[in-house]
Amino acid sequence: MVIRIAAVGDVHLDEDVVGRFRPALEELPECADVLLLAGDLTRHGTEAEARCVAEEFGGLAVPVVTVLGNHDHQCDQVPQVVKVLEDAGITVLEGNGVVLDCAGGRLGIAGVKGFGGGFAGRCASDFGEPEMKAFVRTTTDSADRLGAALRSLDCDMLVALTHYSPVPDTLAGEPLEIYPFLGSYQLGQAIDSAPTALAVHGHAHAGTERGTTPGGVRVRNVAHPVIKQAYSVFHVGDQLDTDQVSPIGQSGSQRSWS
Amino acid sequence: MTHHRDIGAGPPDEYVEAEIQRLLVEDPAVAEQGITVVRRERALVLYGEVESPHRREEILRRVSERFPDVPITSDIGVIRAQAPTEIEQLP
Ligand SMILES: [Fe+2]
Ligand SMILES: [Fe+2]
Repeated sequence: MVIRIAAVGDVHLDEDVVGRFRPALEELPECADVLLLAGDLTRHGTEAEARCVAEEFGGLAVPVVTVLGNHDHQCDQVPQVVKVLEDAGITVLEGNGVVLDCAGGRLGIAGVKGFGGGFAGRCASDFGEPEMKAFVRTTTDSADRLGAALRSLDCDMLVALTHYSPVPDTLAGEPLEIYPFLGSYQLGQAIDSAPTALAVHGHAHAGTERGTTPGGVRVRNVAHPVIKQAYSVFHVGDQLDTDQVSPIGQSGSQRSWS
Repeated sequence: MTHHRDIGAGPPDEYVEAEIQRLLVEDPAVAEQGITVVRRERALVLYGEVESPHRREEILRRVSERFPDVPITSDIGVIRAQAPTEIEQLP
């Protein structure tokens, strides 16, 4: 069973970008069963920018599933943005999931935007001022909803889709000081609470492609500035043709601390 | 954005660097979180990747406008958007 997953995040669309991705997107039916968008679809989260996303990523021959990113929240027009995307046939996840029938089996995708907070031993705590507690509770609430959504899906293969990172591995290249704004370990914990096959995220524009959760789930940072192509394609499954294994693996996952 | 003091013709300092970093994110005409500001001896250098040539020009224009006395060099790239030539197998 092999499911072909295309993914990209952080396309930050506005009028000046419309059309740049489309030629590559037209090739999707030949190489992927689904396209995942890992948030930051827009620059400021306006309805007008969402229409650019709908124009660029709507009407494709493969299903498109997305989460929103922090940029998509900037102008407080989330309901309008979601409506424009859904009207274009794009599935928007936030604390829920979807199961798609693919040639290789039923693909379950659970998604949340996620939030910052930091990683084990170097993270914010639910303690002190109300602002600090609200920050950390936003993180834990988001992770709890991701975990529940992942565990609720009845499918053959499970994928987690977030904007913020569940692991520090894929942040390598970003300044260490800003890791707590780029992701949180609770997202990784949620991913490890279910039999997740792959976790895909964006947000860390200067990060690294590969990592794994403490539970061994593969994590991929698909932020457009990281992958430097219209999208990446992952073939996930247990019967792979080893001749086809791509040589991308040289960079490997890096830990920025030991 | 907080303006701690008047930026004169003096050398770029940490406050200028901080203000440029915030301008890049908070100025609606820019809204980029992925641009790095590096302080060199004689100039501030902007690194990063954006989605269009227009955005690259806009960044330089806005920063120069706001800090006319600070020498700025830009080394910002436009991210390629071609279809991938390789897939990754995840057994
Ligand atoms: Fe982004
Ligand atoms: Fe982001």
